[in-house]
Amino acid sequence: MRALHTAATGMMAQELNVQVISNNIANMRTTGYKRQRAEFQDLLYEHVRRIGTQTSDQGNILPVGIDLGSGVKTAGTPRIMTQGALLPTGKDFDVAIRGEGFFKIQVPDGTFAYTRDGSFEMDAQGRLVTAQGNVVQPGITIPQNASSVTINAQGQVSAMVPGNTTPTVLGQLSLTRFINKAGLQAIGDNLFVETPASGTPQDGIPNVDGLGDLQQGNLEQANVEAVTEISDLIAAQRAYEMNGKVISATDQMLQSTANLFR
Amino acid sequence: MPISELVGLSLQVALSRQLEVVSNNVANLNTTGFKSDHALFEEFLSPEARQELFPAGDARVSFVNDRGVWHDFSQGPTQSTGNPLDVAIDGDAYLVVQTPNGDRYTRNGALQTNATGQLVNTEGMPVLGENGPITLQPGDRNIVISPDGRVSVNEGASVKTEGFRGKLRLVRFAQPQALQKDGTSNFLAPDGVTPGAAPGARIQQGAIEKSNVNGVLEMTRLIEITRTYTQVSTILQQQSDLRRSAIQQLSDVPASA
Repeated sequence: MRALHTAATGMMAQELNVQVISNNIANMRTTGYKRQRAEFQDLLYEHVRRIGTQTSDQGNILPVGIDLGSGVKTAGTPRIMTQGALLPTGKDFDVAIRGEGFFKIQVPDGTFAYTRDGSFEMDAQGRLVTAQGNVVQPGITIPQNASSVTINAQGQVSAMVPGNTTPTVLGQLSLTRFINKAGLQAIGDNLFVETPASGTPQDGIPNVDGLGDLQQGNLEQANVEAVTEISDLIAAQRAYEMNGKVISATDQMLQSTANLFR
Repeated sequence: MPISELVGLSLQVALSRQLEVVSNNVANLNTTGFKSDHALFEEFLSPEARQELFPAGDARVSFVNDRGVWHDFSQGPTQSTGNPLDVAIDGDAYLVVQTPNGDRYTRNGALQTNATGQLVNTEGMPVLGENGPITLQPGDRNIVISPDGRVSVNEGASVKTEGFRGKLRLVRFAQPQALQKDGTSNFLAPDGVTPGAAPGARIQQGAIEKSNVNGVLEMTRLIEITRTYTQVSTILQQQSDLRRSAIQQLSDVPASA
């Protein structure tokens, strides 16, 4: 019976759903994490009796047909790119983006990746790097003797250098925007890379032309909401159980058929 | 002619088809914009035998015939997601999806943008506005979709500049039962079924319409199906036993009487 396979597609879909939800919950405290959602669609239908078929020479047509569906499939796991809450940390090199845009990071193979995680550090050469030691683009070097580093809303990095009474401008952070940011591919380490779906990256200055502004001393929290995830988890678990019930019901029916002729 | 077995068989065939409908509903318990299906049965009377063969007249035997599957178009529950590109439709309207095989209609409002900024569905097919696909520009932010489907954004450097990107096309059908399911959350309108304007429909931004499958109802139906199926099997079993014992006893006539 086809019902067995139909219910199996339902169970597989809910298993994937739970996997997505568990990843969201696991990353509840990951800086700059954007939650995902499993999207499902119904599978193809077999039209046993096609609707609208002519049933007589008088032109009578069938008002309803018999369409048998074959289950469910996962259409995708789109990422919900909404703003996460800002958490004040008081650390000089923690920067949160309020609004559109991503930080551009150079990864070891020379290509660029993009992130919302602004928990930056300084490396031995005084460069601004991510927690993995990848250089933030465009590269900004902070002199050894500089103090009170300031990153303003427009991304201008300045610091007090001994001998000067006014802050010295050290560089300008940029942000990158994509027309379809949900089309970016996550590669782990809080990084995203460009794909044909995301469109080409467009660099810009923070707080200009609709790009977000920067908040020094803050980090962007994950946009995962515990209540939503837990209620989704319960719904997924119940749906899984119900599909299991369909399988055992089908099994019971097959068994009673098999027992007919002993 | 063991006609009772054929009657039982007709019910079992119908029940197993109903089980397929139920299992598809349960599999789509979490599918956005899914509309549940229900099986319809009818009585099928066997034609009467000719009078000259049975002078005493013949009783008509009724079989079960599955006549069709109807779609339950009731509103599914709305789940708030907070995603600005998610829309739920309040009312009996549909969004229009442009596919290579022609226009399709859907209640699934989980919209995305593609690399050129067009509003698309999860399959990447454009979701149409009143004047064709709706395209967002690179600088657009704070997307607002009004209850009547107008997509407006903030554009340019200033927060106050408002841009209009198009109006989502909403259609309704006079006879929604004529719609055919086409998979991937889409409905297909057969020839002769044309969409009309949907003045009363409202769009709710930041929410999606969940599947309207009622889990409790489907489980009850499932129990009903299995119980009936098992009962019919028992009846068939008894018929078979009856016939076996009849054959055994009747054939047990001493040869030299």
